[in-house]
Amino acid sequence: MDRFCFKSNIWIALLALIVATPIFVVASAWLLPGGELWAHFAQTLLTDLVISTVILLLGVGLGVSVLGTILAYLVVMVEFPGRRWLEWALFLPFAIPAYVLAFVYLGVFDYSGYAQVWMRETLGLPGFDIRAGHWAIILTFILVFYPYVYMMARASFKRQKIHMIEAGKMLGASPIRVFWKISVPLARPAIAAGLLVTLMETLADFGVVSLFNYSTFTTAIYSAWGDFRSIEVAAQLASLLVLVAFFLIYFERRARGKAKYYSTDVSHIRPYTANGWIGWLLFAFVFSVFMLSFAMPILQIIIWSVDVFAKEWSGKYTSFFASTAILTLSAAVLTVTVATVLALPSRCKNQSKILQMLIHLSTLGYALPGSVMAVGLMYGVQNISLVSGYLGGSSLNHFLFGSIALLLFAYVSRFMAIAYNSTSASSEQIKPVFEQSARLLGASRFRLIWQVYLPMMTPGIMAGALLVAVDVMKELPATYLLRPFGWDTLAIRVYELSAEGLFERAAVPALMMVIFGAVLMLAFNKLDSSRL
Amino acid sequence: MFTKRIIVSILALTTLVVGSITLVQAAAGEVVTVYSSRKEHLIQPLFEQFTKDTGIEVNYLTGKGGDLIERMKLEGKNTPADMFMTVDAGDLWYAGTQDVFRPVLTDALQNNISPHLRDPEGLWTGLSVRARTIVYSTERVEPSELSTYADLADDKWQGRLCLRTSKKIYTKSLVASIIHNEGEDGAEVIVSGWVNNLAATPNAKDSHVMNAILAGQCDVGLVNTYYFGRLIEETPDAPLSLFWANQEITGVHVNVSGAGVTKHASNAEGAIQLLEWLSSPKAQAIYGSLNKEYPANQSIASDEIVSAWGAFKQDDMNLSIAGILQADAVALMQRIGYK
Amino acid sequence: MLSVSDLTISFDDNQVLEGFNLVLESGDIFALLGDSGSGKSSALRFIAGLESAQSGAVVLDGNDLSSNGTHQMRPEQREIGMVFQDYALFPHMTVFQNICFGINELSKENKVKKVSELLQLICLDGIEEKYPHQLSGGEQQRVCLARSLATSPKLLLLDEPFSSLDKSHRDQLVKEVREILKKEGVTSILVTHDQNEAENFADKIGQIDKKQLRIN
Repeated sequence: MDRFCFKSNIWIALLALIVATPIFVVASAWLLPGGELWAHFAQTLLTDLVISTVILLLGVGLGVSVLGTILAYLVVMVEFPGRRWLEWALFLPFAIPAYVLAFVYLGVFDYSGYAQVWMRETLGLPGFDIRAGHWAIILTFILVFYPYVYMMARASFKRQKIHMIEAGKMLGASPIRVFWKISVPLARPAIAAGLLVTLMETLADFGVVSLFNYSTFTTAIYSAWGDFRSIEVAAQLASLLVLVAFFLIYFERRARGKAKYYSTDVSHIRPYTANGWIGWLLFAFVFSVFMLSFAMPILQIIIWSVDVFAKEWSGKYTSFFASTAILTLSAAVLTVTVATVLALPSRCKNQSKILQMLIHLSTLGYALPGSVMAVGLMYGVQNISLVSGYLGGSSLNHFLFGSIALLLFAYVSRFMAIAYNSTSASSEQIKPVFEQSARLLGASRFRLIWQVYLPMMTPGIMAGALLVAVDVMKELPATYLLRPFGWDTLAIRVYELSAEGLFERAAVPALMMVIFGAVLMLAFNKLDSSRL
Repeated sequence: MFTKRIIVSILALTTLVVGSITLVQAAAGEVVTVYSSRKEHLIQPLFEQFTKDTGIEVNYLTGKGGDLIERMKLEGKNTPADMFMTVDAGDLWYAGTQDVFRPVLTDALQNNISPHLRDPEGLWTGLSVRARTIVYSTERVEPSELSTYADLADDKWQGRLCLRTSKKIYTKSLVASIIHNEGEDGAEVIVSGWVNNLAATPNAKDSHVMNAILAGQCDVGLVNTYYFGRLIEETPDAPLSLFWANQEITGVHVNVSGAGVTKHASNAEGAIQLLEWLSSPKAQAIYGSLNKEYPANQSIASDEIVSAWGAFKQDDMNLSIAGILQADAVALMQRIGYK
Repeated sequence: MLSVSDLTISFDDNQVLEGFNLVLESGDIFALLGDSGSGKSSALRFIAGLESAQSGAVVLDGNDLSSNGTHQMRPEQREIGMVFQDYALFPHMTVFQNICFGINELSKENKVKKVSELLQLICLDGIEEKYPHQLSGGEQQRVCLARSLATSPKLLLLDEPFSSLDKSHRDQLVKEVREILKKEGVTSILVTHDQNEAENFADKIGQIDKKQLRIN
């Protein structure tokens, strides 16, 4: 067992290193000077930024954990009216890009939005500036990102053995006590994994924060680059984000602890049934989350797009859609393939610490703002190109810049965290007894991987692929910077129109994205339930 | 199980195939390649017309100004871009300092575009003018109360002013021009006065500023005129109006969208031809009607809606200065706490 | 046939076996009794090549499998079969695919024949196309046995295979498995903590006592 691990580890380490290239390039910016600008930032922005970033992370983290966990618990453990369709409907907000959702919320709830107009004119309440303070943006992020925690916690609750819950019930514990004392502690690693992804994405976000004009760390990154034209300082600041993400991963691993959870059979029985008004109360709660996070925004997008559909629609949409679909699917396949290979060493008994660190390093791209990562990648290619130039090779950047290959590489690097989260969890869930049986039956390494690991990891691999697909579909900055001629995606169309203030027209491509995303989510759900 | 595996293999194969495609440009006819931070829907009609007139195809890639400059720098002499087009004088100036452009000073350009809208050395040329001025509620503000940008810092506007975020390039160029006209200290007084008068957190978009005024959150704001033009086109009776700022003194701050021919252009001739064509009356009229901007070629009348706002005096500060002072403007706004 | 000599195993600082020796003849059915934590499973897993030890050598049919506590041959080369306590059937494969896992090189016809023979042997004819989750615990363990026997191992290791089953089924299955092994003449070692089960199953019984093997 160990011999195999040793040999292939070198290749896997190399793979992880390649995926982590943009991280290294970004971190290498510390070799360049940036002193003056740092002093300026330290005097002006930095304190506020750090404080508001921390508040945002705390608020969003707490919010998604609570909301995601409660929703997951309700749909898995409690039978209530409407549960069946709400269980999958709660996934749908994934399909809406965060900046689109923020846009709709501002359109509806800001001072000039009709919710506030109605409140002022009908209820006589005073108007307020929704973008002041922290709560509105925190709520927005919670409604966008809760599905991460919901999805992970739901899967974990489903694996909890029914008799464990029943034992709790027999001992006289109330449902709430069972929730706190049994279900949540057992689901803690899953919740932590969902939380990690949320926090990394919040750190890297630029779209939502700029719509709210809220200042986070990314504000300073973009200011360094956009205002002061200092890519060096932007990269230095960005590498601090990576550092934060690294600690977050460390804490997540600690939260997961040594406890290995192997998948057990999933039961369809729900221990609790909520009848009567309690049932309808639960329905009302879950439904209102669904309304706020999906139905209402979609309705608004539809209303916007109906008016201008004829004006905005053209043959170009075939090409927007084709680019989006091709990029999305190929990036998903590629990312999840690499993530699967990276997840295999976790099957080794004595996993090397260095390898483990390299693999974690390769997932940090998720915390980098997309354009910083993209520029990092371009500088990386440039450096390799220079080296190959000295060695008499041809210029790589000519070949790579503006190629699909570089763009796909950026996606792999950026979304590795999502894919790896899924594949490694499913790999860790395989009981060691399966590989031991296989080996005693004379299976080669190849057969072990191809016939035992891979089929048993399939649910995790598929889940990872779909999540990456949805994320790539929504991705803007890296695509915008790296795409080849003629590869405009729906996300780019949404951005270009809304940047010019043409929100109604932007609703058309946004709606297409949501539909495409929803189809992906439904496919995911179909797959997920067929596995039960 | 096996079908699933086959599907996965097929997908993986597709990925490899797609991944190895590097887009080979169709070699049919002459092509000019443009990198543009002016959005696709605003340039495509122009390029279409250009192709009709000259038979030269235009291949374009949109992106953010800073991103594209970085991309061209890294692509170096291999860059496919023959022309770089952007929507802010600051970006044009910066691209000039980064050795991205080559000087082009043809007679046609000099005749069509007035000097303050061009780079002195001909590195870039402004193609449309964007005026940033005061917008006000006709219900709550009398035009006689309005005068200059500096006046918006006055106490009488306390809690009545809406501004766009300082992160937007139009704000930065405006503040840069104020630094140029009033000096660093004068600008600081004005900008901190604005911040004190704010009725709400600065907005992400000019259209949000106008919506806030319409909803009664504030009474005055600063916008680029074409945003106002679009709003008026859709709701002609909106109780909003434009006021030309600084008419007694420097004039309204104008910015340009413009373009330059790249240093390493492989089809520089085609690019120059395109640039000249863009400054020609025909193209300038399209510019005006597409986006309610002012043509940079002053021989061309503005769009109907736009001319209704009347003539105004432009600030004739050379726009390179807006670029040079932009970093100072940002530093100043960050010091003051203009978000 | 099988000889295990001078086996010493410790976990961290806790030594569980010291100088453990065992010799079996061909066709022997042996039971290894011990309390939990006595190291009986570890001894078995060392023989299988799944775990390492401080010292110890294993010789099977004249081949050195392990010496000085390190393994000379990897588990997949040893021709040893093993039945685990947890049902270790691959959940994504049918019974047929499970049993054929170790005899991949046979032709399709031979596989079909072999599987049908083995299923007859374990008295579960006709379940080729079922999936493990459609079977009871006892049935799963019998399929595990068939899967191990399919490769005609030189030695079969059974690591508490009956302990997850309920009592009434257990006694029955213990007898059945013994009969199957006798009929096939497979050298086997059963690890258990149940005296009664050991007596019903084995020809010879050994007990771990003071870190060493004592043959009753």
